[in-house]
Amino acid sequence: MDLDKKLEILADSAKYDASCASSGSDRGGAGGTGAAHLSGVCHSWAADGRCISLLKILMTNECVYDCAYCVNRRSNDSPKAILTPDEIAGLTFEFYKRNYIEGLFLSSGITVSPDRTMELMLEAVRKLREQFRFNGYVHMKVIPGADQALIDQAGLWADRVSVNIELPSDKSLRLLAPGKTKTTVLTPMSRLADRISASKDERLSIKSSPAYAPAGQSTQLIIGATPETDREIIKLSEALYDKMRLKRVYYSAFVPIMKDSRLPVLLDPPLLREHRLYQADWLLRFYGFTADELLDEKHPTLDLSFDPKTVWAINNLHLFPLEVNKAPYEELLRVPGIGVTSARRILRARRAGPLSLDDLKKLGVVMKRAVYFVTAGGKYAGLKKESEEAIKIKLLEHKNPNGQLDLFGEKELMKEGLAGTVSGQL
Amino acid sequence: MKTYLYDGSFESFLTALSLALDSADSCAIAKEGAEEAGLFSEFFNSGTDPLRAAAARDLVERRGSAESWQHLRFAFLSEVSGSETGILEYVKLLAAKGPGADNMLADDRVRKVHRLSASVGGEAHMFKGFVRFKELADKTLYSRIEPDHNILALLVPHFRARLGTFNWVIHDARRNNAALYFKGRLLYAPLDSARLLEDAKEAEVRELWQHFFKTIAIKERINPELQRKNVPLKYRKNLTEFD
Repeated sequence: MDLDKKLEILADSAKYDASCASSGSDRGGAGGTGAAHLSGVCHSWAADGRCISLLKILMTNECVYDCAYCVNRRSNDSPKAILTPDEIAGLTFEFYKRNYIEGLFLSSGITVSPDRTMELMLEAVRKLREQFRFNGYVHMKVIPGADQALIDQAGLWADRVSVNIELPSDKSLRLLAPGKTKTTVLTPMSRLADRISASKDERLSIKSSPAYAPAGQSTQLIIGATPETDREIIKLSEALYDKMRLKRVYYSAFVPIMKDSRLPVLLDPPLLREHRLYQADWLLRFYGFTADELLDEKHPTLDLSFDPKTVWAINNLHLFPLEVNKAPYEELLRVPGIGVTSARRILRARRAGPLSLDDLKKLGVVMKRAVYFVTAGGKYAGLKKESEEAIKIKLLEHKNPNGQLDLFGEKELMKEGLAGTVSGQL
Repeated sequence: MKTYLYDGSFESFLTALSLALDSADSCAIAKEGAEEAGLFSEFFNSGTDPLRAAAARDLVERRGSAESWQHLRFAFLSEVSGSETGILEYVKLLAAKGPGADNMLADDRVRKVHRLSASVGGEAHMFKGFVRFKELADKTLYSRIEPDHNILALLVPHFRARLGTFNWVIHDARRNNAALYFKGRLLYAPLDSARLLEDAKEAEVRELWQHFFKTIAIKERINPELQRKNVPLKYRKNLTEFD
């Protein structure tokens, strides 16, 4: 089989992994080729609008497992291919020097055994680092079930490592992924978390000690293949950020590529739900929200018409309006229409003098949303008799002029950094 | 009104800036050849005076900060018409208010320069991703770019750090200017057209990349609008994967 055909098969089977970030590492060095860029660099965007930053491929799409949701399941008799370590390293290098990519994202189906698979993947990345003296970004999947010593090596060669949880509960894993349990996934993850934090501590005292997965660890959850609620998913993410110190949790709307009696029949992947989960995730990581504030047992589902911050604000009207000339950063962040950038600008601009409502717009605040929740110098321009229903209706009018939900038209959310949720930056 | 003309170089612009700051009248700054901007203006050729240029820089760094100087430099590279006079108004404000001026984010004079600077910084970051090299027969890597702003000098350190072991050329075809990096030495030179003899393997690698680019999109999620937002059409003609 020629390289072109192999690349087609192995990129095609890797594309359902949402992770594409190339951030978090500043690897580099004299003599070799390449460097990592701390904030990451997107090189292109595919026809689905997702960012391309890494050569995202599987080493092989053969697999000994038969996971119902997975395109690479054993019982899927699609053509199989395998790339050798030399081919992987060579292709990455040729693409990298033409600046097509920031580096390599290497995942794999399981060929022969988890150990054998992990060994071949490590060989490819070792070649890239040692033979090609490649200092660009490498994201490596860790194969659950592989020997601990092999898993440990991954972080020595790669900038980022990840184990995909895929299904957000043990029950769903047992149902759809025979051969995987919560334990087989979480054990390597927690091992990697310990190694990463130990290496960070060590590097604080001895700068020259080798970095271990300097861009940290991430994972992915498939959305909509199994019955977990948004609350269960966001609680899981919160625990992964707090306890496993993950850098990112990716959410991947289930694309029903395979027919299976255990899987739901979906016409389209639940993209809007995926988008809302990314927004909620962003609120956990950058806005100081907890999962319980966003979703409780009575309301376990994210509202599809409103972003989760707006829902929270409408349910907590007693905390508003907020005086922008006085409120601290943490509270400004909780105002719909104010993002990380505009909150920082407000703090900075306040040092030069008091702000008016007109000024806020100039600072990048999305006033059509924020207007109901802020005062400036005591002035309020929202609704006279503020009530939950009236504000909801007003917000919906703005948002929804054609009676259609405008999934990616939420420019203000993009401005707040949520572009990253679909493009995979950061 | 007086308009101070500069020859297009940064040093000449700083000379014009210094002259305009010394003038008691209301002034404008424009590039030579862009005089139609002020039909009823009196024009002065600023020339290039290294002492005046240094004084202008000193004023910005002393009354403002290193940040103010970076905003000014980036705003100048925007090459947006009217940016020069925008910078003049900004520097006047710095001179009057001191370093606090950069906090006046709702002030139009500050906003204008900060926005131009952000636009230049943003495009430079984008092009760290959008530069596409092809390998020539002599193994030189060649890239053609046509950015809106004059960002070539901002890209060079990035590629020097990662492709320091190669010889390469980044050619700004819009400004007929090129950064040439050869055996570890860097040189800028005017370049209008380049005759390129591709390496024998080049077409093959290019096709692999184009094929990868097509394959990686999930067809159930096709979203040309989102793709267009991220890769504006104007940038596509120099991107290998959109060929």
